[in-house]
Amino acid sequence: MFAYTLRRIVSMIPILILISVVVFSLAKLMPGDPFSGEIDPNNTNVEYIEEMREKLGYYDPLHVQYTRWVKNVVQGDLGKSTTYKKPVIDVIKDRLPNTIFLGISALILTYMLAFTLGMYSGRNPYTVGDHLIATFNYTGLAIPQYIIAIVAIYFFAFKLGWFPSNGSVASGLEKGTLAFWNSRIYHVILPALTLGLLSTASYTQFLRNDIVQNSQKDYVRSARARGTKESTIYNKHILRNSIIPLVTFFGFDLASLIGGAIITETIFTYPGIGMLFVDSVTTRDYPVVMTLTVLFSLLTLLGNLVADLLYGVVDPRIRY
Amino acid sequence: MEQTRDASALQVDSSKFDSTWTIARKKFMKRKLAMISLIFLIFITAVSFSVPYITSTDIERIHMSETNQPPSSEYWLGTDRNGRDVLIRTLYGGRVSLTIGLTSMFFVTLIGSIIGSVSGYFGGWIDNLLMRLTDFILTIPFMVFVIVLNAIMIGYDKVTGMWSLIIVFSLIGWGGVARIVRSKILAEKENEYVLAATSIGCKPIKVIGKHLFPNVMTTVIVQATLLLATYIVAEAGLSFIGVGVPPEIPSWGNMLMEARQTDVLQNKLWIWVPPAVCITLTILSINFVGEGLKDAFDPKTTK
Repeated sequence: MFAYTLRRIVSMIPILILISVVVFSLAKLMPGDPFSGEIDPNNTNVEYIEEMREKLGYYDPLHVQYTRWVKNVVQGDLGKSTTYKKPVIDVIKDRLPNTIFLGISALILTYMLAFTLGMYSGRNPYTVGDHLIATFNYTGLAIPQYIIAIVAIYFFAFKLGWFPSNGSVASGLEKGTLAFWNSRIYHVILPALTLGLLSTASYTQFLRNDIVQNSQKDYVRSARARGTKESTIYNKHILRNSIIPLVTFFGFDLASLIGGAIITETIFTYPGIGMLFVDSVTTRDYPVVMTLTVLFSLLTLLGNLVADLLYGVVDPRIRY
Repeated sequence: MEQTRDASALQVDSSKFDSTWTIARKKFMKRKLAMISLIFLIFITAVSFSVPYITSTDIERIHMSETNQPPSSEYWLGTDRNGRDVLIRTLYGGRVSLTIGLTSMFFVTLIGSIIGSVSGYFGGWIDNLLMRLTDFILTIPFMVFVIVLNAIMIGYDKVTGMWSLIIVFSLIGWGGVARIVRSKILAEKENEYVLAATSIGCKPIKVIGKHLFPNVMTTVIVQATLLLATYIVAEAGLSFIGVGVPPEIPSWGNMLMEARQTDVLQNKLWIWVPPAVCITLTILSINFVGEGLKDAFDPKTTK
């Protein structure tokens, strides 16, 4: 296991290098100065730009620029945001906790819902409830996330007034108090639900099919023959087997949450790094865009790594 | 018994045997949901693409006297904040969204098929190189790179409007198709007919194009259908958050963008519901058609 983990991590290095080269090339293609953010993008004076470029080493040979950039990134020097006028790393530090909170909430809601619905469906296949859940799943999978988000805001925030439609916390609350956390949770539920809907739908359907399949197997029959309670059979014997494939999805979730977070956060004006990314693209704050691209790529790589490693952890039949 | 040896008796009466395509067509036609979806798709495509010839309404023009009107007999679906007819804009939007979806699907399938076929057919270091590239394309977060590349392309003013998005989709979307085509070609090239074709001197391009590819075509078609849905969803989503098609072009996503204003979302349903419904119905239909095609091409299903 340890050797495999090590090998898997080492095999990521070429992809990391490739990603850094691609991101660097993209940054070179961007107008202005995406590396340091020292050049004022609103100043279109040609002489000023030339002077700043000369000073910041824009005309150095490419490989020199590349090594300098990689060195800076590794040391945490990611340039300065042109919009916020402060180091990119600080801008991201302000927003990152919100996104992590949203991501974790989405995961918790996904797993809670998927287990409840999936286990119900699996225990009662081909009933009205099962068909309803299947319809819900199909809708969740087929309808784009943002349309579900708009409709959810329309109904739950505006018509019913159950949840707020934007922001991450009510204003005027002191950090760390109970009311503050209550408000945060209250604000995160709707975005987290929409963000997690896609995985909820696929998990539920997967769990259902797996439970239905497993309940035909011999070990279930022998458990029944021994007089094991029906609930124990489903909750212990079958679930334990059906959970294995689900756990491995976790890593891929990490990757799909990123793409989802960009859209979901923007719709709910939830101040996380996804919205920061879109805002920075719109305001041409390229240092932030570059850094976030690197960050998102790293997170996706990490997600894939976790998924691969979990395969081995949950399923002892897999040997490396 | 003698008669069966007769050459003419051995000749297969091909009219009695259906080709793969005929079988698939017959199976597909039996699926009601898929057929209804297909008819809907053809209908919405036809209407969207013929709208400039049906109506002479100028979609760019701003009518300040007729802003935000609810649906009426004059404007069937009302007008938006610039006084433009929502119905006609929705149809124009369909034109843009469907063009982006269809064109991206075409290029992605083309690039993916070529890379997949070459990789699978030649093997060796070519395969290794191309597959590492495919791995890379599949590893990077799709949305993030689409947004960045699209922003760069639009920033340069060289490609305009929807073409930027089409190019970006085609550049980084082909990974999945390439992988599937490669695995299919790998399995298919072991057959004797490929050996026969190479031994009579067929060039690789002919073996792939004429002998191998038609056999993996069904998989590619199903995959392409799903890609069409993906790109329509992606285009609308990106335009919706303001980083897709430039806002002056009416696409479904750009129309949906109006719903980001609280007032529109809450009180002016007629502005955002039509594009939302169009996207949803189109995506659902494409998925149903895709599922129908998958079953129709599957030799294991008999219905």
